[in-house]
Amino acid sequence: MRGGEGEASAGRRFVGVLLGCFSPLLFLVPGLVLGPLLLWPRARPLLMAGARRLAALERSRRSLFFGDRFPGAYEVPDRRLLRYLAARVGAGLVTGLVLGLLVFGEVLAVLLVRGVVRGSLGWTELLGQLLLGGVLLFLDVQGLYALTALDARLARACFGPSEQELLRRRIDELALSRAAVVQAVDTERRRIERDLHDGVQQRLVALAMLLGRARRGRERDPQQADALLWQAHREAQDVLAELRDVAWRVYPAALDSLGLEEALGGVAQRCGIPLRVRFEAGDAPLPRPVETAAYFVVSEAVTNAAKHSAASAVSVHVTRDGPLLSVRVEDDGRGGADPAGSGLTGLRSRVAALDGTLRVDSPLGGPTTLVAELPCA
Amino acid sequence: MRVILAEDSTLLREGLVRLLVEEGHEVLAAFGDAETLVAEVEARRPDVVVADIRMPPTHTDEGLRAAVEIRERLPETGVLVLSQYVERSYAARLLAAGAERVGYLLKDRVAQVEEFLDALERIHAGGAAIDPQVVHQLVVRSTHADPLARLTPREREVLEVLAQGYTNAAIARQLHLSLSAVEKYLNAVFDKLELHRADGYSRRILAVLRYLEA
Repeated sequence: MRGGEGEASAGRRFVGVLLGCFSPLLFLVPGLVLGPLLLWPRARPLLMAGARRLAALERSRRSLFFGDRFPGAYEVPDRRLLRYLAARVGAGLVTGLVLGLLVFGEVLAVLLVRGVVRGSLGWTELLGQLLLGGVLLFLDVQGLYALTALDARLARACFGPSEQELLRRRIDELALSRAAVVQAVDTERRRIERDLHDGVQQRLVALAMLLGRARRGRERDPQQADALLWQAHREAQDVLAELRDVAWRVYPAALDSLGLEEALGGVAQRCGIPLRVRFEAGDAPLPRPVETAAYFVVSEAVTNAAKHSAASAVSVHVTRDGPLLSVRVEDDGRGGADPAGSGLTGLRSRVAALDGTLRVDSPLGGPTTLVAELPCA
Repeated sequence: MRVILAEDSTLLREGLVRLLVEEGHEVLAAFGDAETLVAEVEARRPDVVVADIRMPPTHTDEGLRAAVEIRERLPETGVLVLSQYVERSYAARLLAAGAERVGYLLKDRVAQVEEFLDALERIHAGGAAIDPQVVHQLVVRSTHADPLARLTPREREVLEVLAQGYTNAAIARQLHLSLSAVEKYLNAVFDKLELHRADGYSRRILAVLRYLEA
Protein backbone atom coordinates (compact mmCIF):
# COMPACT_ATOMS: atom_id res chain seq x y z
CA MET A 1 0.00 0.00 0.00
CA ARG A 2 1.36 3.42 -0.85
CA GLY A 3 1.86 5.89 1.93
CA GLY A 4 -0.67 8.66 2.19
CA GLU A 5 -3.64 6.73 0.89
CA GLY A 6 -6.18 5.72 3.44
CA GLU A 7 -8.98 3.18 3.14
CA ALA A 8 -11.25 3.93 0.21
CA SER A 9 -13.14 1.71 -2.25
CA ALA A 10 -11.88 1.35 -5.82
CA GLY A 11 -15.01 3.07 -7.18
CA ARG A 12 -14.52 6.13 -5.03
CA ARG A 13 -10.91 6.30 -6.00
CA PHE A 14 -11.82 6.18 -9.65
CA VAL A 15 -14.21 9.09 -9.23
CA GLY A 16 -11.45 10.91 -7.34
CA VAL A 17 -9.03 10.34 -10.21
CA LEU A 18 -11.60 11.59 -12.73
CA LEU A 19 -12.25 14.74 -10.73
CA GLY A 20 -8.49 15.14 -10.43
CA CYS A 21 -8.38 15.45 -14.21
CA PHE A 22 -10.98 18.21 -14.28
CA SER A 23 -9.76 20.28 -11.38
CA PRO A 24 -6.66 21.51 -13.29
CA LEU A 25 -9.03 23.20 -15.76
CA LEU A 26 -10.40 25.07 -12.76
CA PHE A 27 -6.90 26.25 -11.84
CA LEU A 28 -5.59 26.73 -15.32
CA VAL A 29 -7.94 29.49 -16.45
CA PRO A 30 -7.65 31.74 -13.40
CA GLY A 31 -3.98 30.79 -13.04
CA LEU A 32 -3.05 31.86 -16.55
CA VAL A 33 -5.18 34.98 -16.48
CA LEU A 34 -4.55 36.15 -12.95
CA GLY A 35 -1.14 34.54 -12.23
CA PRO A 36 0.93 37.53 -13.47
CA LEU A 37 -1.02 39.74 -11.06
CA LEU A 38 0.72 37.93 -8.20
CA LEU A 39 3.69 40.16 -8.96
CA TRP A 40 1.57 43.09 -7.92
CA PRO A 41 1.81 43.16 -4.10
CA ARG A 42 -1.63 44.70 -3.48
CA ALA A 43 -3.44 42.01 -5.37
CA ARG A 44 -1.49 39.21 -3.82
CA PRO A 45 -3.58 38.60 -0.63
CA LEU A 46 -6.78 38.42 -2.65
CA LEU A 47 -5.29 36.03 -5.17
CA MET A 48 -3.72 33.90 -2.47
CA ALA A 49 -7.10 33.59 -0.77
CA GLY A 50 -8.48 32.28 -4.05
CA ALA A 51 -5.58 29.86 -4.42
CA ARG A 52 -6.24 28.66 -0.89
CA ARG A 53 -9.88 27.96 -1.80
CA LEU A 54 -8.76 25.91 -4.77
CA ALA A 55 -6.22 24.04 -2.66
CA ALA A 56 -8.94 23.37 -0.09
CA LEU A 57 -11.04 21.82 -2.87
CA GLU A 58 -8.12 19.55 -3.76
CA ARG A 59 -7.69 18.67 -0.13
CA SER A 60 -11.33 17.68 0.23
CA ARG A 61 -11.05 15.65 -2.97
CA ARG A 62 -8.15 13.71 -1.48
CA SER A 63 -9.87 13.09 1.84
CA LEU A 64 -13.31 12.35 0.36
CA PHE A 65 -12.32 9.97 -2.38
CA PHE A 66 -9.05 8.54 -1.12
CA GLY A 67 -9.59 8.59 2.64
CA ASP A 68 -6.46 10.68 3.30
CA ARG A 69 -6.37 12.34 6.69
CA PHE A 70 -4.33 15.48 7.08
CA PRO A 71 -3.48 17.22 10.34
CA GLY A 72 -6.19 19.83 11.05
CA ALA A 73 -4.15 22.85 12.00
CA TYR A 74 -1.42 22.74 9.42
CA GLU A 75 -0.52 26.15 7.97
CA VAL A 76 0.72 25.77 4.40
CA PRO A 77 3.15 28.48 3.24
CA ASP A 78 2.09 30.49 0.15
CA ARG A 79 4.96 29.37 -2.05
CA ARG A 80 4.39 25.72 -1.32
CA LEU A 81 0.70 26.13 -2.07
CA LEU A 82 1.34 27.71 -5.46
CA ARG A 83 3.94 25.09 -6.27
CA TYR A 84 1.40 22.41 -5.41
CA LEU A 85 -1.30 23.91 -7.60
CA ALA A 86 1.14 24.20 -10.52
CA ALA A 87 2.23 20.58 -10.06
CA ARG A 88 -1.40 19.52 -9.82
CA VAL A 89 -2.20 21.23 -13.11
CA GLY A 90 0.58 19.28 -14.82
CA ALA A 91 -0.27 15.97 -13.18
CA GLY A 92 -4.01 16.44 -13.76
CA LEU A 93 -3.57 17.18 -17.45
CA VAL A 94 -1.35 14.14 -17.94
CA THR A 95 -3.87 12.00 -16.06
CA GLY A 96 -6.60 13.29 -18.37
CA LEU A 97 -4.44 12.37 -21.35
CA VAL A 98 -3.81 8.85 -20.05
CA LEU A 99 -7.51 8.34 -19.35
CA GLY A 100 -8.26 9.62 -22.86
CA LEU A 101 -5.86 7.05 -24.29
CA LEU A 102 -7.68 4.38 -22.33
CA VAL A 103 -11.00 5.45 -23.85
CA PHE A 104 -9.39 5.54 -27.30
CA GLY A 105 -8.11 1.99 -26.75
CA GLU A 106 -11.63 0.90 -25.82
CA VAL A 107 -12.97 2.31 -29.10
CA LEU A 108 -10.27 0.47 -31.05
CA ALA A 109 -11.11 -2.75 -29.22
CA VAL A 110 -14.77 -2.40 -30.16
CA LEU A 111 -13.81 -1.86 -33.82
CA LEU A 112 -11.58 -4.93 -33.65
CA VAL A 113 -14.43 -7.06 -32.27
CA ARG A 114 -16.70 -5.83 -35.06
CA GLY A 115 -14.07 -6.74 -37.63
CA VAL A 116 -13.83 -10.26 -36.18
CA VAL A 117 -17.63 -10.66 -36.22
CA ARG A 118 -17.88 -9.52 -39.89
CA GLY A 119 -15.01 -11.79 -40.81
CA SER A 120 -13.03 -8.98 -42.45
CA LEU A 121 -10.04 -9.70 -40.14
CA GLY A 122 -7.56 -12.51 -40.53
CA TRP A 123 -6.35 -14.56 -37.54
CA THR A 124 -2.77 -13.45 -37.83
CA GLU A 125 -3.82 -9.82 -38.01
CA LEU A 126 -6.09 -10.24 -34.95
CA LEU A 127 -3.27 -11.81 -32.96
CA GLY A 128 -0.93 -8.96 -33.83
CA GLN A 129 -3.53 -6.37 -32.83
CA LEU A 130 -4.26 -8.18 -29.56
CA LEU A 131 -0.58 -8.31 -28.65
CA LEU A 132 -0.04 -4.64 -29.46
CA GLY A 133 -3.23 -3.59 -27.67
CA GLY A 134 -2.34 -5.66 -24.61
CA VAL A 135 1.07 -4.01 -24.29
CA LEU A 136 -0.42 -0.53 -24.73
CA LEU A 137 -3.16 -1.30 -22.19
CA PHE A 138 -0.54 -2.45 -19.73
CA LEU A 139 1.53 0.70 -20.21
CA ASP A 140 -1.54 2.88 -19.84
CA VAL A 141 -2.72 1.22 -16.62
CA GLN A 142 0.82 1.40 -15.29
CA GLY A 143 0.88 5.11 -16.05
CA LEU A 144 -2.43 5.58 -14.28
CA TYR A 145 -1.08 3.85 -11.17
CA ALA A 146 2.03 6.01 -11.15
CA LEU A 147 -0.06 9.16 -11.56
CA THR A 148 -2.40 8.30 -8.68
CA ALA A 149 0.66 7.68 -6.52
CA LEU A 150 2.08 11.03 -7.63
CA ASP A 151 -1.22 12.70 -6.77
CA ALA A 152 -1.09 11.24 -3.25
CA ARG A 153 2.55 12.25 -2.85
CA LEU A 154 1.92 15.82 -3.97
CA ALA A 155 -0.99 16.18 -1.54
CA ARG A 156 1.13 14.77 1.28
CA ALA A 157 4.00 17.10 0.54
CA CYS A 158 1.71 20.11 0.56
CA PHE A 159 -0.88 19.41 3.26
CA GLY A 160 1.44 17.81 5.75
CA PRO A 161 1.91 14.28 6.95
CA SER A 162 -0.83 11.81 6.34
CA GLU A 163 -1.93 9.17 8.81
CA GLN A 164 0.70 6.75 7.48
CA GLU A 165 3.43 9.32 7.82
CA LEU A 166 2.31 10.02 11.37
CA LEU A 167 2.34 6.30 12.16
CA ARG A 168 5.82 5.96 10.78
CA ARG A 169 7.00 8.86 12.90
CA ARG A 170 5.37 7.34 15.94
CA ILE A 171 7.12 4.04 15.30
CA ASP A 172 10.47 5.81 15.04
CA GLU A 173 9.72 7.62 18.26
CA LEU A 174 8.80 4.37 20.01
CA ALA A 175 11.88 2.54 18.76
CA LEU A 176 14.04 5.37 20.07
CA SER A 177 12.34 5.56 23.44
CA ARG A 178 12.45 1.78 23.79
CA ALA A 179 16.20 1.73 23.25
CA ALA A 180 16.58 4.63 25.66
CA VAL A 181 14.59 2.83 28.33
CA VAL A 182 16.78 -0.26 28.06
CA GLN A 183 19.83 1.95 28.40
CA ALA A 184 18.35 3.72 31.40
CA VAL A 185 17.65 0.40 33.07
CA ASP A 186 21.25 -0.70 32.51
CA THR A 187 22.57 2.56 33.91
CA GLU A 188 20.45 2.10 36.99
CA ARG A 189 21.63 -1.46 37.44
CA ARG A 190 25.21 -0.29 37.24
CA ARG A 191 24.43 2.26 39.89
CA ILE A 192 22.87 -0.37 42.14
CA GLU A 193 25.94 -2.59 41.74
CA ARG A 194 28.15 0.35 42.65
CA ASP A 195 25.95 1.13 45.64
CA LEU A 196 26.20 -2.42 46.90
CA HIS A 197 29.90 -2.76 46.21
CA ASP A 198 31.13 0.61 47.43
CA GLY A 199 28.76 0.86 50.33
CA VAL A 200 27.32 -2.25 51.86
CA GLN A 201 30.02 -4.75 50.92
CA GLN A 202 32.97 -2.60 52.03
CA ARG A 203 31.24 -1.98 55.33
CA LEU A 204 30.63 -5.67 55.85
CA VAL A 205 34.26 -6.49 55.10
CA ALA A 206 35.34 -3.78 57.53
CA LEU A 207 32.94 -5.17 60.13
CA ALA A 208 34.31 -8.69 59.72
CA MET A 209 37.81 -7.27 60.06
CA LEU A 210 36.89 -5.57 63.33
CA LEU A 211 35.59 -8.88 64.65
CA GLY A 212 38.71 -10.68 63.45
CA ARG A 213 40.93 -8.15 65.16
CA ALA A 214 38.93 -8.44 68.36
CA ARG A 215 39.27 -12.21 68.28
CA ARG A 216 43.00 -12.07 67.68
CA GLY A 217 43.57 -9.45 70.36
CA ARG A 218 41.68 -11.28 73.09
CA GLU A 219 44.79 -12.69 74.77
CA ARG A 220 47.04 -9.75 74.05
CA ASP A 221 44.81 -6.97 75.25
CA PRO A 222 41.32 -7.91 76.50
CA GLN A 223 40.32 -4.28 76.99
CA GLN A 224 41.09 -3.33 73.45
CA ALA A 225 39.27 -6.41 72.22
CA ASP A 226 36.23 -5.21 74.12
CA ALA A 227 36.44 -1.78 72.52
CA LEU A 228 36.70 -3.41 69.10
CA LEU A 229 33.57 -5.44 69.80
CA TRP A 230 31.68 -2.27 70.69
CA GLN A 231 32.86 -0.69 67.49
CA ALA A 232 31.82 -3.77 65.52
CA HIS A 233 28.37 -3.62 67.03
CA ARG A 234 27.95 0.00 66.04
CA GLU A 235 29.27 -0.74 62.59
CA ALA A 236 26.74 -3.56 62.17
CA GLN A 237 23.94 -1.08 62.82
CA ASP A 238 25.41 1.32 60.28
CA VAL A 239 25.54 -1.46 57.70
CA LEU A 240 21.86 -2.16 58.31
CA ALA A 241 20.96 1.49 57.83
CA GLU A 242 23.02 1.61 54.65
CA LEU A 243 21.35 -1.51 53.31
CA ARG A 244 17.94 0.00 53.99
CA ASP A 245 18.94 3.12 52.09
CA VAL A 246 20.28 1.20 49.12
CA ALA A 247 17.10 -0.88 48.95
CA TRP A 248 15.04 2.30 49.10
CA ARG A 249 17.06 3.87 46.28
CA VAL A 250 16.49 0.77 44.17
CA TYR A 251 12.74 0.93 44.66
CA PRO A 252 10.81 2.71 47.39
CA ALA A 253 8.38 0.12 48.73
CA ALA A 254 6.16 2.93 50.04
CA LEU A 255 5.28 3.78 46.46
CA ASP A 256 3.33 0.53 46.15
CA SER A 257 1.74 0.45 49.56
CA LEU A 258 1.12 4.13 50.33
CA GLY A 259 1.30 6.00 47.04
CA LEU A 260 3.27 8.89 45.59
CA GLU A 261 2.61 11.45 48.30
CA GLU A 262 3.99 9.22 51.06
CA ALA A 263 6.97 8.16 48.98
CA LEU A 264 7.84 11.80 48.33
CA GLY A 265 7.67 12.34 52.08
CA GLY A 266 10.30 9.61 52.34
CA VAL A 267 12.53 11.54 49.93
CA ALA A 268 12.18 14.60 52.14
CA GLN A 269 13.25 12.56 55.18
CA ARG A 270 16.31 11.14 53.45
CA CYS A 271 17.42 14.34 51.82
CA GLY A 272 20.30 16.26 53.36
CA ILE A 273 18.85 19.69 52.54
CA PRO A 274 15.45 21.17 53.48
CA LEU A 275 12.84 19.92 51.03
CA ARG A 276 9.30 21.29 50.77
CA VAL A 277 6.77 19.08 49.03
CA ARG A 278 3.42 20.49 47.88
CA PHE A 279 1.22 17.68 46.64
CA GLU A 280 -1.91 18.98 44.89
CA ALA A 281 -2.80 16.16 42.57
CA GLY A 282 -6.14 15.44 44.23
CA ASP A 283 -7.27 12.12 45.65
CA ALA A 284 -7.96 10.33 42.39
CA PRO A 285 -5.60 7.38 42.04
CA LEU A 286 -2.75 7.80 39.58
CA PRO A 287 -1.56 5.02 37.25
CA ARG A 288 1.33 3.10 38.85
CA PRO A 289 3.88 3.79 36.06
CA VAL A 290 3.14 7.52 36.27
CA GLU A 291 3.63 7.50 40.04
CA THR A 292 6.91 5.64 39.69
CA ALA A 293 8.22 7.99 37.00
CA ALA A 294 7.16 11.05 39.00
CA TYR A 295 8.88 9.66 42.09
CA PHE A 296 12.17 9.06 40.28
CA VAL A 297 12.06 12.50 38.68
CA VAL A 298 11.82 14.07 42.14
CA SER A 299 14.36 11.77 43.75
CA GLU A 300 16.95 12.24 40.98
CA ALA A 301 16.45 16.01 40.90
CA VAL A 302 16.77 16.27 44.66
CA THR A 303 19.88 14.06 44.69
CA ASN A 304 21.47 16.24 42.00
CA ALA A 305 20.58 19.40 43.88
CA ALA A 306 22.12 18.09 47.09
CA LYS A 307 25.21 16.64 45.39
CA HIS A 308 26.20 19.06 42.63
CA SER A 309 24.47 22.38 42.89
CA ALA A 310 25.21 23.34 46.52
CA ALA A 311 21.53 24.20 46.94
CA SER A 312 20.29 25.21 50.38
CA ALA A 313 16.65 24.33 49.74
CA VAL A 314 14.54 22.43 47.23
CA SER A 315 10.83 22.74 46.57
CA VAL A 316 8.69 20.14 44.86
CA HIS A 317 5.25 20.92 43.47
CA VAL A 318 3.00 18.18 42.10
CA THR A 319 -0.21 19.26 40.35
CA ARG A 320 -2.78 17.55 38.19
CA ASP A 321 -4.48 19.32 35.32
CA GLY A 322 -7.03 17.01 33.73
CA PRO A 323 -5.15 14.06 32.27
CA LEU A 324 -1.73 15.66 32.85
CA LEU A 325 0.32 15.28 36.01
CA SER A 326 3.01 17.88 36.27
CA VAL A 327 5.97 17.67 38.61
CA ARG A 328 8.02 20.77 39.22
CA VAL A 329 11.28 20.70 41.15
CA GLU A 330 13.14 23.92 41.90
CA ASP A 331 16.34 24.50 43.83
CA ASP A 332 18.29 27.65 44.69
CA GLY A 333 21.68 26.16 43.77
CA ARG A 334 24.29 27.33 41.30
CA GLY A 335 22.70 25.69 38.24
CA GLY A 336 24.71 24.50 35.26
CA ALA A 337 23.15 21.02 35.28
CA ASP A 338 24.06 19.08 32.16
CA PRO A 339 20.84 17.91 30.42
CA ALA A 340 22.92 15.27 28.61
CA GLY A 341 24.29 13.81 31.84
CA SER A 342 23.53 10.17 32.54
CA GLY A 343 21.07 10.87 35.35
CA LEU A 344 18.95 13.36 33.43
CA THR A 345 19.13 11.28 30.25
CA GLY A 346 17.82 8.30 32.17
CA LEU A 347 14.99 10.41 33.58
CA ARG A 348 14.11 11.76 30.17
CA SER A 349 13.89 8.21 28.81
CA ARG A 350 11.71 7.17 31.70
CA VAL A 351 9.36 10.09 31.09
CA ALA A 352 9.42 9.68 27.29
CA ALA A 353 8.43 6.04 27.68
CA LEU A 354 5.13 7.31 29.09
CA ASP A 355 4.80 9.94 26.32
CA GLY A 356 5.61 12.66 28.79
CA THR A 357 8.02 15.56 28.47
CA LEU A 358 10.88 16.68 30.67
CA ARG A 359 12.26 20.20 30.60
CA VAL A 360 15.40 21.22 32.43
CA ASP A 361 16.28 24.85 32.87
CA SER A 362 19.57 25.32 34.64
CA PRO A 363 21.44 28.51 33.74
CA LEU A 364 24.89 29.01 35.24
CA GLY A 365 24.41 30.68 38.59
CA GLY A 366 21.06 28.97 39.05
CA PRO A 367 18.34 28.44 39.92
CA THR A 368 17.60 25.03 38.42
CA THR A 369 14.02 24.21 37.45
CA LEU A 370 12.95 20.81 36.27
CA VAL A 371 9.43 20.22 34.97
CA ALA A 372 8.06 16.83 34.03
CA GLU A 373 4.62 16.46 32.46
CA LEU A 374 3.15 12.99 32.44
CA PRO A 375 -0.10 11.99 30.73
CA CYS A 376 -2.21 9.87 33.08
CA ALA A 377 -4.44 8.30 30.43
CA MET B 1 57.39 -5.88 57.22
CA ARG B 2 56.97 -2.44 55.64
CA VAL B 3 53.70 -2.01 53.73
CA ILE B 4 52.04 0.55 51.41
CA LEU B 5 48.25 0.37 50.95
CA ALA B 6 45.95 1.59 48.20
CA GLU B 7 42.24 1.14 48.88
CA ASP B 8 39.45 3.59 48.04
CA SER B 9 37.05 2.73 50.84
CA THR B 10 38.11 4.87 53.80
CA LEU B 11 36.58 2.49 56.28
CA LEU B 12 38.43 -0.50 54.93
CA ARG B 13 41.69 1.40 54.52
CA GLU B 14 41.62 2.49 58.15
CA GLY B 15 40.78 -1.04 59.26
CA LEU B 16 43.68 -2.49 57.28
CA VAL B 17 46.13 0.06 58.68
CA ARG B 18 45.04 -0.70 62.26
CA LEU B 19 45.20 -4.45 61.70
CA LEU B 20 48.72 -4.30 60.24
CA VAL B 21 49.96 -2.01 63.01
CA GLU B 22 48.49 -4.30 65.67
CA GLU B 23 50.32 -7.21 64.06
CA GLY B 24 53.59 -5.30 64.38
CA HIS B 25 54.01 -4.28 60.74
CA GLU B 26 54.88 -0.80 59.58
CA VAL B 27 52.47 1.03 57.25
CA LEU B 28 54.52 3.56 55.29
CA ALA B 29 51.55 5.13 53.51
CA ALA B 30 47.91 4.50 52.62
CA PHE B 31 46.23 5.96 49.52
CA GLY B 32 42.67 6.19 48.27
CA ASP B 33 43.64 5.84 44.59
CA ALA B 34 46.38 4.43 42.39
CA GLU B 35 47.57 7.69 40.84
CA THR B 36 50.67 8.27 42.95
CA LEU B 37 51.11 4.65 43.98
CA VAL B 38 53.94 3.66 41.62
CA ALA B 39 55.94 6.80 42.34
CA GLU B 40 55.50 6.40 46.11
CA VAL B 41 56.55 2.75 45.99
CA GLU B 42 59.66 3.68 44.02
CA ALA B 43 60.49 6.38 46.53
CA ARG B 44 59.84 4.44 49.74
CA ARG B 45 60.65 0.87 48.75
CA PRO B 46 58.16 -1.09 50.92
CA ASP B 47 58.42 -4.87 51.28
CA VAL B 48 54.84 -5.42 50.15
CA VAL B 49 52.20 -3.31 48.36
CA VAL B 50 48.50 -4.07 48.92
CA ALA B 51 46.25 -2.60 46.22
CA ASP B 52 42.54 -2.76 45.41
CA ILE B 53 41.94 -3.32 41.69
CA ARG B 54 38.89 -1.09 41.30
CA MET B 55 39.68 2.46 42.33
CA PRO B 56 38.86 6.02 41.29
CA PRO B 57 38.71 7.74 38.87
CA THR B 58 37.33 5.11 36.46
CA HIS B 59 36.63 2.24 38.87
CA THR B 60 37.93 -0.37 36.43
CA ASP B 61 41.46 -1.78 36.81
CA GLU B 62 43.64 1.13 38.02
CA GLY B 63 45.03 -0.88 40.92
CA LEU B 64 45.92 -3.82 38.71
CA ARG B 65 47.76 -1.65 36.19
CA ALA B 66 49.76 -0.06 38.99
CA ALA B 67 50.54 -3.51 40.44
CA VAL B 68 51.79 -4.84 37.09
CA GLU B 69 53.97 -1.76 36.68
CA ILE B 70 55.43 -2.16 40.17
CA ARG B 71 56.25 -5.80 39.41
CA GLU B 72 58.05 -4.77 36.24
CA ARG B 73 60.04 -1.96 37.77
CA LEU B 74 60.72 -3.35 41.23
CA PRO B 75 60.65 -7.16 41.08
CA GLU B 76 61.88 -7.42 44.67
CA THR B 77 58.70 -5.73 45.96
CA GLY B 78 55.86 -8.04 46.93
CA VAL B 79 52.45 -7.18 45.43
CA LEU B 80 49.08 -8.25 46.79
CA VAL B 81 46.06 -7.34 44.69
CA LEU B 82 42.51 -7.34 46.07
CA SER B 83 39.74 -8.03 43.58
CA GLN B 84 36.02 -7.51 43.82
CA TYR B 85 35.18 -10.56 41.72
CA VAL B 86 37.11 -13.55 40.47
CA GLU B 87 38.53 -12.34 37.16
CA ARG B 88 40.73 -14.89 35.45
CA SER B 89 42.10 -12.35 33.03
CA TYR B 90 43.20 -10.12 35.91
CA ALA B 91 44.93 -13.02 37.62
CA ALA B 92 46.61 -13.94 34.33
CA ARG B 93 47.89 -10.39 33.77
CA LEU B 94 49.28 -10.28 37.27
CA LEU B 95 51.02 -13.66 36.99
CA ALA B 96 52.40 -13.03 33.51
CA ALA B 97 55.76 -12.09 35.02
CA GLY B 98 55.98 -15.20 37.22
CA ALA B 99 54.67 -16.33 40.59
CA GLU B 100 57.24 -14.81 42.95
CA ARG B 101 56.18 -12.29 45.59
CA VAL B 102 52.67 -11.94 44.24
CA GLY B 103 49.13 -12.40 45.49
CA TYR B 104 45.63 -12.21 44.06
CA LEU B 105 42.90 -12.37 46.68
CA LEU B 106 39.20 -11.69 46.71
CA LYS B 107 38.48 -8.59 48.70
CA ASP B 108 36.23 -10.49 51.09
CA ARG B 109 39.25 -12.60 52.04
CA VAL B 110 40.47 -9.60 54.06
CA ALA B 111 37.62 -10.32 56.46
CA GLN B 112 39.32 -13.61 57.32
CA VAL B 113 42.10 -11.82 59.10
CA GLU B 114 44.35 -14.86 59.59
CA GLU B 115 44.24 -15.87 55.95
CA PHE B 116 44.99 -12.33 54.84
CA LEU B 117 47.97 -12.00 57.20
CA ASP B 118 49.21 -15.43 56.17
CA ALA B 119 49.01 -14.44 52.49
CA LEU B 120 51.05 -11.31 53.22
CA GLU B 121 53.71 -13.40 54.99
CA ARG B 122 53.88 -15.84 52.08
CA ILE B 123 54.29 -13.04 49.56
CA HIS B 124 56.92 -11.40 51.75
CA ALA B 125 58.82 -14.69 51.90
CA GLY B 126 58.98 -14.78 48.09
CA GLY B 127 56.00 -17.04 47.44
CA ALA B 128 52.52 -16.58 46.00
CA ALA B 129 49.01 -16.31 47.39
CA ILE B 130 46.17 -17.12 45.02
CA ASP B 131 42.61 -17.00 46.32
CA PRO B 132 41.07 -20.45 46.79
CA GLN B 133 38.00 -19.20 44.89
CA VAL B 134 40.16 -18.34 41.89
CA VAL B 135 41.89 -21.71 41.96
CA HIS B 136 38.60 -23.52 42.37
CA GLN B 137 37.12 -21.72 39.36
CA LEU B 138 40.20 -22.58 37.33
CA VAL B 139 39.86 -26.22 38.28
CA VAL B 140 36.13 -26.27 37.51
CA ARG B 141 36.47 -24.44 34.20
CA SER B 142 39.68 -26.12 33.14
CA THR B 143 39.66 -27.45 29.59
CA HIS B 144 41.74 -30.41 30.77
CA ALA B 145 38.72 -32.13 32.20
CA ASP B 146 39.98 -35.66 31.44
CA PRO B 147 43.34 -35.61 33.22
CA LEU B 148 41.72 -33.75 36.14
CA ALA B 149 39.04 -36.41 36.33
CA ARG B 150 41.74 -39.02 36.72
CA LEU B 151 42.85 -37.46 40.02
CA THR B 152 41.61 -38.99 43.25
CA PRO B 153 39.64 -36.59 45.53
CA ARG B 154 42.67 -36.38 47.83
CA GLU B 155 45.03 -35.58 44.94
CA ARG B 156 42.63 -32.87 43.74
CA GLU B 157 42.60 -31.31 47.24
CA VAL B 158 46.37 -31.27 47.30
CA LEU B 159 46.45 -29.69 43.83
CA GLU B 160 44.05 -26.93 44.84
CA VAL B 161 46.01 -26.04 47.97
CA LEU B 162 49.28 -26.13 46.01
CA ALA B 163 47.86 -23.77 43.39
CA GLN B 164 46.98 -21.24 46.09
CA GLY B 165 50.68 -20.91 46.76
CA TYR B 166 51.31 -23.03 49.85
CA THR B 167 54.55 -24.92 50.52
CA ASN B 168 54.52 -28.68 50.97
CA ALA B 169 54.78 -28.25 54.72
CA ALA B 170 51.80 -25.87 54.76
CA ILE B 171 49.77 -28.23 52.58
CA ALA B 172 50.52 -31.02 55.04
CA ARG B 173 49.36 -28.81 57.92
CA GLN B 174 46.15 -27.73 56.17
CA LEU B 175 45.09 -31.20 55.07
CA HIS B 176 46.36 -32.97 58.21
CA LEU B 177 48.78 -35.16 56.27
CA SER B 178 52.39 -36.11 56.78
CA LEU B 179 54.96 -34.31 54.67
CA SER B 180 55.93 -37.52 52.90
CA ALA B 181 52.28 -38.20 52.06
CA VAL B 182 51.96 -34.76 50.49
CA GLU B 183 55.09 -35.38 48.42
CA LYS B 184 53.69 -38.71 47.31
CA TYR B 185 50.37 -37.15 46.25
CA LEU B 186 52.11 -34.32 44.47
CA ASN B 187 54.26 -36.72 42.48
CA ALA B 188 51.12 -38.55 41.43
CA VAL B 189 49.45 -35.26 40.45
CA PHE B 190 52.41 -34.10 38.38
CA ASP B 191 52.59 -37.45 36.63
CA LYS B 192 48.88 -37.57 35.83
CA LEU B 193 48.80 -33.98 34.56
CA GLU B 194 52.06 -34.52 32.65
CA LEU B 195 53.56 -31.45 34.30
CA HIS B 196 57.32 -31.19 34.39
CA ARG B 197 58.64 -30.95 37.88
CA ALA B 198 59.90 -27.46 37.37
CA ASP B 199 62.72 -26.24 39.56
CA GLY B 200 61.92 -23.60 42.11
CA TYR B 201 58.88 -23.49 44.28
CA SER B 202 56.90 -20.67 42.65
CA ARG B 203 57.59 -22.03 39.18
CA ARG B 204 55.74 -25.13 40.29
CA ILE B 205 52.65 -23.09 41.18
CA LEU B 206 52.91 -21.21 37.94
CA ALA B 207 53.09 -24.47 36.02
CA VAL B 208 49.88 -25.63 37.70
CA LEU B 209 48.07 -22.34 37.13
CA ARG B 210 49.12 -22.15 33.48
CA TYR B 211 47.96 -25.72 33.06
CA LEU B 212 44.56 -24.93 34.54
CA GLU B 213 44.19 -21.74 32.51
CA ALA B 214 45.18 -23.24 29.19
